[in-house]
Amino acid sequence: MTSVESVDPAMTDRMWSRITRALVDTGRPPHYAELARALGVSPAESRTILHAVLQAYPIGWVHPDTDYIASFPPLNGLPTQYRVTVRGEQKWFAQCGFEATSVTWLFPGERVRTDVACLDCGDPLAVEMLDGRLTRVDPPTVVGHLNYGFGPSRGRTPYL
Amino acid sequence: MNLFRSEEHARRWEAFRQESEEGFIALPDLAGLFGTESRRHMLDADYLSRWYPLRAAERRDYLARIGKTSPFWLGTPAPSA
Repeated sequence: MTSVESVDPAMTDRMWSRITRALVDTGRPPHYAELARALGVSPAESRTILHAVLQAYPIGWVHPDTDYIASFPPLNGLPTQYRVTVRGEQKWFAQCGFEATSVTWLFPGERVRTDVACLDCGDPLAVEMLDGRLTRVDPPTVVGHLNYGFGPSRGRTPYL
Repeated sequence: MNLFRSEEHARRWEAFRQESEEGFIALPDLAGLFGTESRRHMLDADYLSRWYPLRAAERRDYLARIGKTSPFWLGTPAPSA
């Protein structure tokens, strides 16, 4: 395997699932070298597969100038202000406030709470969901805001 | 793509862009936008190849249903661009 373009889509599926499962199970993204054996490839091949995954899934990204997965939505490796709690344990972060409402689909049958400090006043906000339904919003006035439009007009990814 | 205590709090945010005045979305609408069919398959083994490619069309359809059809939301070039 020499190029990202030559990676079998079945392999990118397998890596995408492994990364997501690791995030769900541990709250952190794995390194490509950790995934190599499970995928039956060398670490170098695993790195190529990782970049093929990110080419197919460009809403995730590695930290600049590294191969460390920083963001893999809806969850994030790098801590954000969107702290996610499941079963009383806070060990996850959502990529952004919008993706926070999608984390519920990674934890079927579980209450998923996102706690966040308002960027204006710092007051605590809480949004709880169960299988896609909003079960608690505190305060009820909480609103989503897109600062840059989707698509070509979007700003730098981490600062949308 | 943030959550704020209210619209007024968003407008007071130091990084708020005047062009984003149309960028508000009610939480139930947001949960719907990020809860379309493909999102419900993120734990499937073939999510990336089978479900992820459906997201863009789902998003456009959902945004149209809630009346957000401007270039800002649909990701299409603005008429003046």
